[in-house]
Amino acid sequence: MQKIVEVKNIEKIYGKAGEKQYKALSDVNFEVEPGEFVGIMGASGSGKTTLLNILSTLDTPTSGQVHIGGQDITKLNTNEMADFRANKIGFIFQDFNLLENLTAYENIALPLALQNTDSKKIDPAVMSISKKLGLTDILNHYPTELSGGQKQRVAAARALVHDPAIVFGDEPTGALDSKSARALLDTMSKINHEDNVSILLVTHDPFSASYCDRIIFIKDGEIGQELKRDDHTRGEFYQEILDSLGTFAE
Amino acid sequence: MLNKLALSGIKHRLRDYSVLFSGLIIASAIFYMFMSLATNSSFLKSNSPAQATSFIYGFGAVLLAIITIVYINYANGFLLSMRQKEYGMFMMLGAKSSKISKMIFVETFTIGAIATVLGSVIGIVATSFVSQLIIKSLDMKVTHFNSFYLPALLITFAFFIVIFIFSALKNSISIRRTKVLTLLHKDSQPARIKKNKALKVFQVILGIVFLGIGYGTMIVMGSNPVLIYLGVPVALFTIVIGTYFMINAVIIAVISALKRNKKFSQKGLNNFTLSQLSFRISDYTKILSMVAMMFALALGAITVGLGFQNQISTVVDGQNYYDVTVNNINNSQQKRIDKLNTKQVVTYSYKASKGTVYYQASEFKKTPFKYQKFNMKSMIGKTSSTTDPSNADVSYELLNNNLPRYRTSKISVVDGAKFDSIDSKANSLTLVKTKSFNKDLATIKKINQSEQKRYPELKGSGASKYDAYVMVNGIFSGLEFMGLFLGIAFLAMLASCLMFKILSGASSDVKRYNMLYKIGTRTKVLRSNINKEIAVLFAVPAGLGIIHVLIGLQMFSKILYKPYMNIEIPFGIFIILYLGYYFVTRYLYKKIVLK
Repeated sequence: MQKIVEVKNIEKIYGKAGEKQYKALSDVNFEVEPGEFVGIMGASGSGKTTLLNILSTLDTPTSGQVHIGGQDITKLNTNEMADFRANKIGFIFQDFNLLENLTAYENIALPLALQNTDSKKIDPAVMSISKKLGLTDILNHYPTELSGGQKQRVAAARALVHDPAIVFGDEPTGALDSKSARALLDTMSKINHEDNVSILLVTHDPFSASYCDRIIFIKDGEIGQELKRDDHTRGEFYQEILDSLGTFAE
Repeated sequence: MLNKLALSGIKHRLRDYSVLFSGLIIASAIFYMFMSLATNSSFLKSNSPAQATSFIYGFGAVLLAIITIVYINYANGFLLSMRQKEYGMFMMLGAKSSKISKMIFVETFTIGAIATVLGSVIGIVATSFVSQLIIKSLDMKVTHFNSFYLPALLITFAFFIVIFIFSALKNSISIRRTKVLTLLHKDSQPARIKKNKALKVFQVILGIVFLGIGYGTMIVMGSNPVLIYLGVPVALFTIVIGTYFMINAVIIAVISALKRNKKFSQKGLNNFTLSQLSFRISDYTKILSMVAMMFALALGAITVGLGFQNQISTVVDGQNYYDVTVNNINNSQQKRIDKLNTKQVVTYSYKASKGTVYYQASEFKKTPFKYQKFNMKSMIGKTSSTTDPSNADVSYELLNNNLPRYRTSKISVVDGAKFDSIDSKANSLTLVKTKSFNKDLATIKKINQSEQKRYPELKGSGASKYDAYVMVNGIFSGLEFMGLFLGIAFLAMLASCLMFKILSGASSDVKRYNMLYKIGTRTKVLRSNINKEIAVLFAVPAGLGIIHVLIGLQMFSKILYKPYMNIEIPFGIFIILYLGYYFVTRYLYKKIVLK
């Protein structure tokens, strides 16, 4: 079966040749299977945001290849990159990134409108995802009228409404209280299991990471160890992550 | 240390500051330009016959002062919005608020003072440049006009110093009163749209009623110019309020209706654009109504100014049908006449004797005499022709064409036998009608000069059409000059006001556009979205302003012959200049907002 994400020998160097250079990523390789829930963990400055930016075509690698859904995204021009993001990727950001002058409904509908989807098809799509995420009562509210947890669920709905090949989460629970964070992770996990949506989560929080099927640890721009949940309970996996972090940090 | 930090802050935001700075310079330059006219009483007296001129100028000065204060208020808000995060950080690091507010005071005042000095210098240069341009291109006669005028310079300095002291105080007080946390998170303050349907409907009704009263007043003033002193303030007040409600309620209603149309709104970024606009317009109501008013005043000033230019030929034509009059034609005058693009050349012979000028009936039968039937009510002459110019109406115009010495004579049209029997020297009067008086102006001037040399009594008699032209041109040029100058000054001011208001909101849009970019919006789409959004913000006041002017021209229906004549010229000039501001604004906006 075709991999959703295939990263081969990625390298990212900041700074021009001849000047002082900084290597943010070095020889990064990994894959994500369809329907997999993968976490990328690392401390601040480890290179995980750089990696996510490259995967989501917001940045380009200095060398190496990235295939998403079978397409080499490093060979795309700017317009193709934009279209790729609009069609194939869903984003959930730490700070929600909702447009505060649009209602929750309009925020969720935005990716479909951007693809010029027929307006008759937009409404059922928005309603279906909103129902799944329990947002039907707040669709006419503006983001400023919503709690942090509600905002992040709206953002999740926006990331999922256009059936992307993969959803990228950049510390999605970072700005949430523990209860809202848990609710969001439960929802993501449910969508992952029930609808077989592939999710790639970047986090430094072991609790969030414990929801994943597999954790890839990154340190100083290099992939370190990998951890699989297999048949462990979430509690056991959480403990395992903590242990690994202890050894990985040394 | 703090001063050093403040300076480095300015360096980092040099581009934003350069926008602010150039805006302030434009403001003071325009203020000076206007004051150099408005405070120069000898210029006003010598260039306008109308009593109303000083009233118009006083009114203009008050308007300009108000718009300048509003403008500086916006610019000042822009300055504060750029800096408050930094100030918040300094305070968080332990800087005392008294120290910070002192720093803000010095910063605001310094920027203002430098801008005022530079602006005044530019104002002096621009005044001489613009006035020369206008004077030359329109063949105007303007006296007592000097681009450097000390009282104007002093007033400009005093006015701006006072405003900047107030702005600096306002900034430092507002920083003192704001909490550090609010300063640090200013960008993320939510923007909410308040909706109240009943209130909006009420506003629409009020808007229509007020505009109706305003428009009605202007039309009434047009048929009864005496009402002008009462009518102008009433019209101004009601139209300002009407405009405000129109923008606040009607435009938002249109946007909401478009939003409800899902087929339209759920296409691309339309929904986003509409939301941005409805939020913007409720936030911009005040400035958009002000811009609409200024737009109307400026465009009106230019239109009326150029209307006076049209008036010149109409009034001059009313004086005399024939463009050139030559007595006892000689070779050199004939040669000059041959150079003209003529429509008709006619020569009548006459004899003068004992207070009567005799013409031959047969000559008039052959070529009837054409004259302007003058209508006192419309101030316009209508061309007529007659074979017997001895009646009072016509003889006046025919005698005007004769030498001044016959001015008080009577005209008698006689048959050939009678004419021959008169014991006096036969003279000839050659009358020429050209196809275009203005195009042949240079040659006509020469003929007129040489005629005055041949008959010195013609000098200062003001009898010829050319003399009439010179006189009328002198009167109307002053009015026209003021109209154009005022119009251009107001335009520059209002457009930069709008530009500033839009640009000062740009920083809060960076995040939105960045998010749209991240979720896969093409840069081209983002650009066209920005173009559309700014276009609407420019078009709304322009549209309302144009309607105001079209109706407002009714005020001049008694003063100007055909106030709507050639209206496309001032409108064209104005719209091109205004479009220039639109393009600059959207360019700068994109530079701030897009990567």
